[in-house]
Amino acid sequence: MRMRWRMPFSAITLLIVVPAAAWTEPTTGPAQSAMVREAQPLVDAINKHVAARWTKLKVQEAPLADDAEFMRRVFLDISGRIPYTSEARDFLDDKAADKREKLIEKLLESSGYVGTYSAFWRDLLIPPDNNQQRQLLQRQITPWIQKKIRENTAYDKMVFELLTAPVATGNTGGGRPGRLGAQNGPAIFYQANEYKPDNLGSATSRLFLGVRLECANCHDHKFDKWKRKQFWQYAAFFAGIGTSQPQDFGDGQGEEDRGRNELTIPGTDIKVKARFLDDSVPDWKKGKSPREALAEWITSKDNPYFARAIVNRIWGHLMGFGIVEPVDDFTVDNQPSNPELLDALAKAFVEHNYDMKYLIRAIVLSKPYQLTSKMTNESQLDTTAFARMSVKSLTAEQFFDSLALATYYNESAPVTKGGRRDPNNNVVSPRDEFIARFANNSDKRTEPQTSILQALALMNGKFLNDITSADRGQLLGGAVLFKPEDSKRCIEALYLATLSREPTADEMSKAVKYIEGGGVSNDKSKAAADLYWVLLNSSEFMFNH
Amino acid sequence: MSRFSELPRLSRREWMRLASAGVVAYSTSGWIERLAAETSTNPERKKSVILLWMNGGPSQMDTFDLKPGHANGGPFKEIQTSATGLKISEHLPKIAKFGDKMVVVRSMNTKEADHGRATYYMRTGYLPQGAVQYPTIGSLLSKELARPELPLPNFVAIAPYRFFSPGAFSSGFLGPQYAPLIVGDTGNQFGQQGGQNSYDQLLRVQDIDLPGDVSSKQADARIELLRDMEKDFASTHPGVAPQSHQTAYERAVKLMKTDANKAFKLDEESDKVRDAYGRNLFGQGCLLARRLVERGVPFVEVTLGGLNNNALGWDTHGDNFNMVRQLSGVLDPAWATLMQDLKDRDLLDSTLIVWMGEFGRTPQINGGNGRDHYASAWSTVLAGGGIKGGQAIGKTSEDGTKVEEREVTVPDLFATICLALGIDPNKQNESNVRRPIRLAEKGAQPIKEII
Repeated sequence: MRMRWRMPFSAITLLIVVPAAAWTEPTTGPAQSAMVREAQPLVDAINKHVAARWTKLKVQEAPLADDAEFMRRVFLDISGRIPYTSEARDFLDDKAADKREKLIEKLLESSGYVGTYSAFWRDLLIPPDNNQQRQLLQRQITPWIQKKIRENTAYDKMVFELLTAPVATGNTGGGRPGRLGAQNGPAIFYQANEYKPDNLGSATSRLFLGVRLECANCHDHKFDKWKRKQFWQYAAFFAGIGTSQPQDFGDGQGEEDRGRNELTIPGTDIKVKARFLDDSVPDWKKGKSPREALAEWITSKDNPYFARAIVNRIWGHLMGFGIVEPVDDFTVDNQPSNPELLDALAKAFVEHNYDMKYLIRAIVLSKPYQLTSKMTNESQLDTTAFARMSVKSLTAEQFFDSLALATYYNESAPVTKGGRRDPNNNVVSPRDEFIARFANNSDKRTEPQTSILQALALMNGKFLNDITSADRGQLLGGAVLFKPEDSKRCIEALYLATLSREPTADEMSKAVKYIEGGGVSNDKSKAAADLYWVLLNSSEFMFNH
Repeated sequence: MSRFSELPRLSRREWMRLASAGVVAYSTSGWIERLAAETSTNPERKKSVILLWMNGGPSQMDTFDLKPGHANGGPFKEIQTSATGLKISEHLPKIAKFGDKMVVVRSMNTKEADHGRATYYMRTGYLPQGAVQYPTIGSLLSKELARPELPLPNFVAIAPYRFFSPGAFSSGFLGPQYAPLIVGDTGNQFGQQGGQNSYDQLLRVQDIDLPGDVSSKQADARIELLRDMEKDFASTHPGVAPQSHQTAYERAVKLMKTDANKAFKLDEESDKVRDAYGRNLFGQGCLLARRLVERGVPFVEVTLGGLNNNALGWDTHGDNFNMVRQLSGVLDPAWATLMQDLKDRDLLDSTLIVWMGEFGRTPQINGGNGRDHYASAWSTVLAGGGIKGGQAIGKTSEDGTKVEEREVTVPDLFATICLALGIDPNKQNESNVRRPIRLAEKGAQPIKEII
C-alpha cells in the first residue's frame, strides 16, 4: 500500500475518480452526501499540497489510522469527548464504506460540537484565569458564543458583530455588570480588555489577523516590521471606548464616543489618527464609526490576513501545529511552511462564505488528518510535513468529560458527598475543581506538560479513586458482575470504555493473566479495578492522538 | 529505552524540548548522603531562596522606614537593631536582632498601585503585556538553582493567595515542569484559624498519600502495569507530551516513597520549636520552609496575608495600626526563628531571604486611620544569603512621600537578587512569543554594594 502512494499524486487523480471512501478502505465507490461532495475539491487541494511537500522533503508519511484511532480522534476533535462504549461498538462494527463521513456529519450536528467549539472561542476571546472575575466574564460571554456556533453563523459575520457591538450596556446598579443576555455577550469582550484601546488593539490583531502587535506597544517590534506608531494608529480605532470607573476589579460600565478616531500615545504628546495596518485610511463617511470601518476592513474578502489567520488557527487546532506556528504570529521571519496549502484553505473558506463546518469537514476528511499518530519513520518527526498525526492535549473540560463518560460518572448524583465550598459558599463541583487543577495554560497543544500535582491527583485523588473502586465505581460494578470465566469480556469492556478500542492479543493475554491471578490481594475484582485505574491514568487516555 | 531515542533527524529544538521536559536520569539512592557531605561553606553548594510574601501591600511607614517625628509617622516607635544606625518598628523586636544580616531597601519606586498589576510586576519582574506569560520569580530562580536529582520539587509555594493575580504565581512560559508545588492552598479564603491539626493537614502535599483502601503493594502493582503500558505508547509516540507524563508520574511516585516526603511532617519537630515559630499558618509555613531548604529545595515562598478570617492582610485601608501590630506579632517570631534556625544549621549565608509585598502604603494617614496603596516610596528587605547586611539602601523624604536617594526599581531588585545568588541577571529564557526574555529587564541597575 505504501508503494501506491509514492506515485505522483496528479497521476492518480487523472486516472481514477477517487471517492472519499478510498482514503479509508479499498472498497467500491459509495454514495456521498452533498456536504462531502461540496468539500471534496478542498480535500483534494489539501491532499495535493501536503503530498507535494512530502515529496519535496523526501518524507515517508505514516499509514492511515485504523477505525478505532480515527473514531476516538474525531469524537474528541469535533465533539469534545470520547465515544460511549455503545457508540464505539456501533462504529467499529459498521460495515458501510462511508461510515467515517457519516460519523463526521453526526458529530458536527451534535451538542458536543457546540459545547467544545464554544469553549474554544470563549477561551480565545477571554483567556482563562483562575480568578472569579475572569470566570464570571467567561460565563457571561458564553451564551452569545453558543448561539453563533449553534446557528453556524458565518465567521466573518461573527467577527463583525463582535467588533461593532454596543459597549455601553447599562448596569442593574451597584456598579456590577447586569445579567446580560445573548445579544450583550460581545460587550463582555470589551470589559475583559478593560475598555482600553491598546488592549483591544492587541487582542483583535492577534485573534483575527494573526499579528502580535503588542511588542510594538512600547517600542518598535524586534522581529517584524511594525513600528510603535502603527500600533497606536491601529489601537486608535478603539479610541472612543472607555469606562466610567477604571479601577481594580474592572467593574466599570463601558462607554463610547462613536466619533472619536484619534488618541494620544501614552507618555508622549504625539497624537495619532486611526489607520489600518496596511497603511491605508478609511473613508471617514459621516455616521460610520471607527469600529465599523475597522470591522469592514478586517472582514473584507481582500484582507490578506483575515482568512489566512482563521484557517491557520483551525488547521493548527486539528492537526496540532499550524502552517504558521505559533498560529497567531504571522511575521516576516515566520513564514508559512506550506504557503500553497495555506492559500488554498483561505481561498476556499472565503468562497464558501466563511462556513466553519465546511472548513472543519474538509480538514477532517483530508489525508493528513487521517494518518495514524504512530511514528513509523524518522522523517515523520518534521512537524511541518504533517506526515503523521501529532499527539495533542485535551482541554481540562474534555479530559473531565471523557473521564466521566468512561466511568459513567453522573454529576447530579455525586459519588462522594460534601464538596468543597468557594468563598461565596457555593458548592464547588468536582468538575470545576478538576478543571481548575488541570487547566493547561500553555497555548501549545502539542506540548502539554503534566505536573507532579496533576499526577498525584490522578494517582491518589479521591475522585478517581472513588470511581475506580470495585464497590463504588459504577462501570466497574457492572463489569465485575461478569463471572470469572468472563474476565475476557470484562477486559474488553474496560478497554472499550476507556481507550475506545479493543485490547491487542498481547494486551489481552497479559490482562487475563493479571486478573485471573487476582492481583496482589488474590481478589479478581480488585485486580480488575487495578486494570481500570491503569487505563485511566495512561497517556493513551489522557491525550488526543 | 525506545529505539527512537537516538534520532539523527531530530532537530536541535526538539532535543532541547525533550531535555527541558525533565527527561533526566537520576540515581535513586545516596542523595541525602551527598547533601550531608556538602557543607554550606562549600562554594560549590548552590544557594536557596525563601520569599516571604506580604500579601496586600505592607506599610513601610510602620515596619522598616518609620518617621516617628512627623505627622505621617503614626504611633509606632523605632527600636535599634543589632546594626548601629539601622532602626525598625518596635513591633519587630526579634527580627531586629538580625539587623546585621539584613539590608533594608527603602527607596523602592515601582509605579504600580493596583493589586493585580503590582503583584504581577513584583513577582515576575515585568508588567503584564499581552500574550507573554512571564514566569513567577520562584520558577525563574528555581530553574537556575535547579537540583534535578532532588526528589522534592525545586519550587514550593506555601499558602499562596492567588486571587489578585493568578498569573503571578504561575510558571508561565517555562511550562508546568517549573510550576510550584503548592501546599496550604486555602484558595481564595484566608486567615483561617483552626486547631493545630488543621495546619498539619493544610501544609501537606495534596494527594500524596495513597487512598485508604489501596495498599502500598497494590499501588506498586498498578505503577508496574502502568509503566508497561506507557512503554508501548512512548515507543511509537515520541515527543514532549508522553515523556512529560511519564516523568511527572515517576517524580510523583518518588515523592510518595522517599524520605523527601517527610519534609512535610511538621510533627517531627518539637513543641518548643513549633511554638517559637508561632502556631499559625505563616509561622508553621516558615518552619516548613526551613525544613525544605535543609533538604536542598532551592526556592520556597511563604505568604503572610490575613488573620482571623480577615482576607485583607496587609491591605490596611482602615485601622492600619492595630492590624499592622497584629501582623507584626505573627511576622516577627516566625521570621526571627527562621533566621536563627538557618544560622544554627550553617545555612544562613547560603539562603537568601526576600521580604516584600506588591507595594507600600501612603505616608498620609486617611480618615479611617488607615493607609492606602503607595508605590512611589516603599521598602523591601533582603536578608542572609551572604549579602553585606546591617545597612539601609536609599532614603525617603522626611514625610515619607518621595525617594531622595538611590531609587530602586523592580528590575533593579530582580538583578540584585540574581547577583546575590550568583546568577547572571541578563540570562535569557525562550518565551511563548518566540522572544527571549531576560531574568531581569534590560537596563536594570543592581545594588552592587550589598553583594
